[in-house]
Amino acid sequence: MKVVKDRYRPNEIRDAYLFLLPMLLFAVIFILLPVLGTLVTSLFREVSFLPSRFSGLDNYLRLTTDRHFWQSIRFTLLFVGVSVAAELFFGMVLALVLNESVPGRGFVRVAVLVPWAIPIAVSARMWELIFNFDYGVVNFIVLQLGLADAPINWLGSATGAFGAIVISDVWKTTPFMTIILLAGLAAIPQDLYKQAMVDGTTFIQRFFYITLPLLRPVLVVALLFRTIDAVRIFDLIYVLTGGGPGGGTTSLSLYAFKYYTSGDFGYGSAISLVVFLVAGLLAVFYIRITGFREVVK
Amino acid sequence: MREERIKNILKSAGVAFLLLFCLLPFVWVMLVSLAKEPDFLLPQVAFDATFDNYSDVLTSGSLHLLDYLRNSLVVSAVAALAATLFASLAAYAITRLKFPGRLLIPLVLMAFSMFPQISIVGYLFKMMIGLGWINTYTGLIFPYITLGMPLALWIMLSYFSEISTELDRAALVDGATRIQILHKIILPLAAPGALSATLLVFIYTFNEFLFAMMLTTDYRARTIPVGIAFFEGLHGQIPWGHLMAVAVISVVPVILLAAVFQRKIIRGLLQGAIKG
Amino acid sequence: MTSIKLYILVMLAVLLTGCADHERKLTFWIGGAPQEVDYWESLVDEFERTSGITVDLIRQPSSTDQRKQGLVISMAAEQPDPDVFLMDIVWLQQFFQSGWLQPLDPFWGRAGFSIAPFFRDVVDTVDRFAGHYYALPVFIDIGLLYYRKDLLNKYGYSGPPLTWRELLQQASEIQAGERSHNPGFNGFLWQGAQYEGLVCTFLEFSASNGGGIMLDGQVRLNRGANAVALGFMQDLIRKYGISPLNTYTDMREEEVRRAFQRGDALFERNWLYAWRLHQKNGSAVKGKIGMTALPQFEEGRSVAALGGWHIGISRHSDMPGRAWELVRYILSHSSQKKLVLNLGWYPGRSDIYTDPEVLKKMPYAGLLQEIFSRVVTRPNLPYYDQVSAVIQRAVNGCLAGKQPPDAALRRMQSEIDHIEDIYAKKK
Repeated sequence: MKVVKDRYRPNEIRDAYLFLLPMLLFAVIFILLPVLGTLVTSLFREVSFLPSRFSGLDNYLRLTTDRHFWQSIRFTLLFVGVSVAAELFFGMVLALVLNESVPGRGFVRVAVLVPWAIPIAVSARMWELIFNFDYGVVNFIVLQLGLADAPINWLGSATGAFGAIVISDVWKTTPFMTIILLAGLAAIPQDLYKQAMVDGTTFIQRFFYITLPLLRPVLVVALLFRTIDAVRIFDLIYVLTGGGPGGGTTSLSLYAFKYYTSGDFGYGSAISLVVFLVAGLLAVFYIRITGFREVVK
Repeated sequence: MREERIKNILKSAGVAFLLLFCLLPFVWVMLVSLAKEPDFLLPQVAFDATFDNYSDVLTSGSLHLLDYLRNSLVVSAVAALAATLFASLAAYAITRLKFPGRLLIPLVLMAFSMFPQISIVGYLFKMMIGLGWINTYTGLIFPYITLGMPLALWIMLSYFSEISTELDRAALVDGATRIQILHKIILPLAAPGALSATLLVFIYTFNEFLFAMMLTTDYRARTIPVGIAFFEGLHGQIPWGHLMAVAVISVVPVILLAAVFQRKIIRGLLQGAIKG
Repeated sequence: MTSIKLYILVMLAVLLTGCADHERKLTFWIGGAPQEVDYWESLVDEFERTSGITVDLIRQPSSTDQRKQGLVISMAAEQPDPDVFLMDIVWLQQFFQSGWLQPLDPFWGRAGFSIAPFFRDVVDTVDRFAGHYYALPVFIDIGLLYYRKDLLNKYGYSGPPLTWRELLQQASEIQAGERSHNPGFNGFLWQGAQYEGLVCTFLEFSASNGGGIMLDGQVRLNRGANAVALGFMQDLIRKYGISPLNTYTDMREEEVRRAFQRGDALFERNWLYAWRLHQKNGSAVKGKIGMTALPQFEEGRSVAALGGWHIGISRHSDMPGRAWELVRYILSHSSQKKLVLNLGWYPGRSDIYTDPEVLKKMPYAGLLQEIFSRVVTRPNLPYYDQVSAVIQRAVNGCLAGKQPPDAALRRMQSEIDHIEDIYAKKK
């Protein structure tokens, strides 16, 4: 996009905004307005069985002593850290192995799209079956291989449930990550590698000194999006574990949802705002450490 | 060369692993959906292939499976078309016209797309109550259009920016209006992009869950993801065969689209990553 | 320009078909369990035939939490649907105080309906609010002790235990004996996982020692009687070993029922619904079991937690008159009789329990009537959800050995006090 520093012509400005109008209108009404509305609601005591009244920062103060809330934060951050790292790692490994060619055959491409195209709700039920105590494949394999003498209740323990959630999420997003990284790798000129190989470098050296630096822009964007996505995770957890066992796998979004649907709208709004802030902070953090230019490009 | 061969082996292994990784779970789903008993892996249980699970769920009125499918298809299709349309209009302005905010607007929209849905849905729920749009198609379509616009915009921007502005200048000289230019010249050239955008927004909104769950209350407007999330049996005894049949049916539209349009889809996704 | 217009026209057309008229039908939301659905479907069919009112029967997921979420969303959105729906007994106060239900008593006068045949203890305690009745019980549930008659006989015991001490003794001896050929055998199974059911279990143990959750209308958990009861629960698993270690990780209704039904336990604490399933063909314990009231501590009394589902009419219903017709039909003597005969669930009408046909199928009807008079309820509070979450976590933590009973109770009390500060203020 060329930015030509010309004088603005009033006709053009008017035309431009007319073209932009539908999009801006929708964005303002259905995204900006609701977020502001949520902010306002969080400053009220809005409980279904009590009269509503302005309560200032009460809801936020309540958060500071809410053990479940802090548990959700810990869980969410842990989840983000583990699953984004896993997706990145596996995505990178697969991309390197498949290097230079985006999976050529159409069938492979469709296969790679399957995890991404399936609704999370559907894949969550699929994983529910796979990890199921009585009928799941995992228990079947574990027993067959003699790794345990009795079926394991994966979804019944906090660690098991966490593991199941991470695996499901990694399944869904690694193929996508792989494609993105592959495309990024494809943009690196082969000559660089050839030259480096002539100079007698090892694969590891080539990876860290050529591949990674040149992959940075793609990496940063992919990471940014994946991290924000992971912070706001809801679908997978709601369907797979419902936040259990005993609230051990409740993400922030799910925690807010639980309050919305138990009639405490004010508190739910406050939690939603916190999710917003966490996502925002992470985005700012990313942009800071990588430099704004990268992202803008 | 030795290294060549190792590389090739690794590559094939990698492809094989990727394929298994992506498809195996879903293959399992299909097997279970076609079996009478879900624990057929055990030696004492036979794998009775049957289509009963499918016929059961499709004919059971109280499951409303076909209603959910219809709702999903309509809502996503309309939202996808509208989002692409709006995005095309905006992309045209951004790539062809000079105005203050030209660089800012796409960025702002991208920022909007990163807002957590939970921060939006609470108040959106109240707005919909006020408008009387709870449990209606419109109540879902409008938010979905908004959710899909950033994605569509990104794709249309990259396609439009590749089309030379000379074409516009020539047409303008001939006395065409901007809308005509967009409609008759630019869009046809960017048709693959528009298709990509529509597809991606369709798939994205088809899979959407939170809004659908909070803004609808029953089969009259509810979508497939919510339908399948709520599918259950007695006290925890889930009829897995039926559930997996529902799962397969739910993803048929999306998988079909993915299969037919895989090039476009991948290209669209990559546009976002590489250009972004 | 024309094809853009076409575009828009098509979209509008599609939108309009979507907004196609939703003819006003009487909507009735029920749970999603298959047998339950069958029962309701046949009931509603008959109702439609005899009354001429069309009913849209909609099944919700069977998870109680999800059912509540769906209802709260509809109620908060002031939707005209559902008109009629079922509520878990613990939701009632919140639904009443949120103004989501219509009072039912105005309908009674002209319809000649009376609540006399219903269990007054139940109805007056949980269904009343601000001088009106806002819900009525469709079926009620109580906690019971199931026991293996054959095993008690085998080891020379004349009958089921009346006190916890007796239960402990019987279970320890018989478990030791049975484990020689059935290593997976357990003396006493009960629900200890971290979920709503745990509150009922805790309530029963503590009330059977003269304690409980509420005292004089306030939540008063920090009592000696409760500490003893909670300590006993903990000891069952950790000290005496007659309840398995996974009691506090896995054991809910179905897990307990299935294990008992396989023949792997001597005693089971469960709800009424289990009886029928235990006596079905194919059950390993068919004909070998009995049910009785739960044991007590010496200083206490035998109690049963009260569960069940109630029916109500939405305040935003656009056809309350017809809704009442349906409710009345569901609560009628014949429908409630079918409830127990077909589904094996226990109606809220006491006059069913003396019906000869019913007595034939339910030989314990007399026992049940007697136990109904000794039910204990969970706190009748609009913010019960939060209170329950606190109790669940603390009790489960105690069972898991994470903290001793007194500490658990103290913590529960202080957390609930905190909650009451937030929700109980009427300003």
